[in-house]
Amino acid sequence: MTVDQSALLDVLHVDMDCFFAAVEALDDPTLLGKPVIVGGAGPRGVVAACSYEARATGVHSAMPMGEARRRCPAAVIIAGRHSRYGEVSAELHDVFREFTPVIEPISLDEAFLDVSGSHRLFGTSEEIGHAIRSRVREVLGLDCSVGIGRTKLIAKLASREAKPRASKKGVLAGPGVVMVLAAEELEFLHPRPVRDLWGVGPKTAERLARYGVNTIGDLAALDPDALERLVGKAAGTHLHSLSWARDERPVESGLEVKSVGHEETFPTDRHDHKLLQPEVVRLADSVGARLRTAGLTGRTVNLKLRFADFSTITRAQSLNGPLLSSVEIARIATALLEAVDVGTGVRLLGVSVSSLEPLATAGGRQLSLMDLNDMAREPRAGAGSSSASKRPSEPARAEVEAAIDAIRTRYGARAVGPATVLDRGSGLRVKELGDGQWG
Amino acid sequence: MRFRADRDTLLEALVTASRATASRSALTGAAPGLQLSLKGEHLEIVGSDPDLVIEARCKVAGESDGTVLVPTRLVTDIIRSFESGAVAVVGGDDEVRFSAGRAEFVVRVAAGAEITRLSTLETTGIDLPANTFADGLRQVVRAALVDDSRAPQLTAVQMQATEKGLRLVATDSYRLAFRDFEGMSALEEGSQVLVPAKALAEVQRLVGQAKDDDDEMIGFRHSDLDAVFDLDDVRITTRLVRGQFPDVDRLVPTSYAYRLKVQREDFASALRRVRLLVRDSKDVTTPVRLSFREGGVELQVLTPESGRAVEALEGEFSGEEIMIAFNPTYLLDGVEALRSDILVIEVNDPGKPALVRGEGEDEYRYLLMPVKVS
Repeated sequence: MTVDQSALLDVLHVDMDCFFAAVEALDDPTLLGKPVIVGGAGPRGVVAACSYEARATGVHSAMPMGEARRRCPAAVIIAGRHSRYGEVSAELHDVFREFTPVIEPISLDEAFLDVSGSHRLFGTSEEIGHAIRSRVREVLGLDCSVGIGRTKLIAKLASREAKPRASKKGVLAGPGVVMVLAAEELEFLHPRPVRDLWGVGPKTAERLARYGVNTIGDLAALDPDALERLVGKAAGTHLHSLSWARDERPVESGLEVKSVGHEETFPTDRHDHKLLQPEVVRLADSVGARLRTAGLTGRTVNLKLRFADFSTITRAQSLNGPLLSSVEIARIATALLEAVDVGTGVRLLGVSVSSLEPLATAGGRQLSLMDLNDMAREPRAGAGSSSASKRPSEPARAEVEAAIDAIRTRYGARAVGPATVLDRGSGLRVKELGDGQWG
Repeated sequence: MRFRADRDTLLEALVTASRATASRSALTGAAPGLQLSLKGEHLEIVGSDPDLVIEARCKVAGESDGTVLVPTRLVTDIIRSFESGAVAVVGGDDEVRFSAGRAEFVVRVAAGAEITRLSTLETTGIDLPANTFADGLRQVVRAALVDDSRAPQLTAVQMQATEKGLRLVATDSYRLAFRDFEGMSALEEGSQVLVPAKALAEVQRLVGQAKDDDDEMIGFRHSDLDAVFDLDDVRITTRLVRGQFPDVDRLVPTSYAYRLKVQREDFASALRRVRLLVRDSKDVTTPVRLSFREGGVELQVLTPESGRAVEALEGEFSGEEIMIAFNPTYLLDGVEALRSDILVIEVNDPGKPALVRGEGEDEYRYLLMPVKVS
């Protein structure tokens, strides 16, 4: 068989090495070679990223900042500059576009690339992987790792193998590019822990472990019916396919944003709806502004709450038409919040809008003469229209918010905002991208 | 019970009565039944659900009186399957025999079962001119809310005694229809009742089916709980809806900034045409955009998937151009409700209620909330 075995290996997963920390070191070369931790510096902060020097001491992302400080007292802790990372990420995508138009971004520093149309110009997938690494180094001054495989799953796991490693002795360079041939997929996949599969979270892994299923190979050996009984029908089918390296999902370049949202971690847990509601308004206000800037609207409002014990819930409500204003997002998110018991304390709150569509082609939203929900609540209160007359109509709000956006464009985000968000002393606390995200 | 009947006559009565039992099975899980009662030459067929009773009467050749409860669907299908001509019915304690020609069906029935009936009203009522009243129902019932537990009062049509006569009002919160009957007094002055739109739709349907007889009347009476409509061969008794109907008068603007006049039938045809592009799903309303401009109006439907449809109509409009969007089905509902040849659409603002009415047709108004588009 002299068939070029790399022929169908068209999926590349490119992942920046210690992205946030590396960007900080790039802008401040004195940080080079030092343990750097980017994340929330507050008492509730978590590690968003850290350099390999910090990793060598046992620090890893998502670790509470207090713990990270204990493990690595010498670390330089940086709050993080979300907008700067966004700039670098945009340049990174420009580099990707030199090689292929089919790019599926996963986060600021990670993307899938489909290079099936790029071989004539740039050679084999492996050659393209190396070329991307040197281009990224040349243009951005940063390092990345590239995984290559037949599917997204294999490519993603392969890029992990390509990474440098932190050890007590220092940073060991990784291979940079790792390619997994189709014939080697199962050998590569099966020894790995089940957690490496998408869709296997801690709960599922725990349940599987109780049945002696620890590796992907164990899972692949399970009868599909038995697996479905363990994890449910949809997940069962999905995981069984993945465990045999069957992953049909294409690299989707649609640049499609699935949702627009903001989250905030609080310095101390909040146990009271009254203290959370203004934050909902604040988050909704900025989500609405971002949607409008992007020329988008959505039909579903999602509320995310993480409690003191780190358990996380989400609640969502969909409308029969596009959302019209930040006020409406806030109203729906507030209603969702009110239905949740927050007695155990909330450490993180998130508001997002999904079911997005472009404003220009969005279906319209049928307006109402009166609010049916109000009528149901107070069937005897007389006119169902009473509330309608007290509140401005949705189109009126939309006009108000267009004006607010215009003021903010000219005078800055803190120039105007909802009264609920007014803080004695510090003035308006308008949510901006990235602040408070990591606590 | 034993009688012979004409198949067509019997079927019509069965179908009419069965319209009250349609929702029964979903509610109680029990198979809905029709009660057949024979007294001399008079057969009465009663269908009933918790809120609505329909009694249909027809003349038959009776031999012995009696009462029997039969399964609605099965018996209606059996009679329908017979050829036109005579049908013989013999009811026993636990079975009923239906035969026509050489076909014979024996249907098992529950012995001693009885149908629930609403209270019989002893009050004397008033006669309403059937055709006029049914025409008003046609115009108003369409705006009522279709089955919704959030606001049950909106599934009703409000019958209201006004200074001038009787007014019917219905709204599903998106549109609002008014019909005035000058000089018609069905209720005590100042009083109002909420009659389920479902029952009124039956009244309208039955009057519509009847031959065009201008002198035909509908008997109407009500108590605090029920209302009764008496037609020639049919009586409809309905539970009234409780609760407060919204104070809708305040929703109607007192003046409008823009007024369009256009041939009603032309507008309706154009609207039906451009509506072909509408993709309707639970979540999305594809609106029709109306641009009022000097000398007429342009109708436009845009969908990202399917494309675009545009049609311009001549009409009377002067002033600055204004665009307003509506749910095309709701708009067409209003336009089709009118009798006048000239359609008038009055607008203040693309986000505020618009009025659809016929020129010279002051007794009917259809207020419609627009669809907000960006």
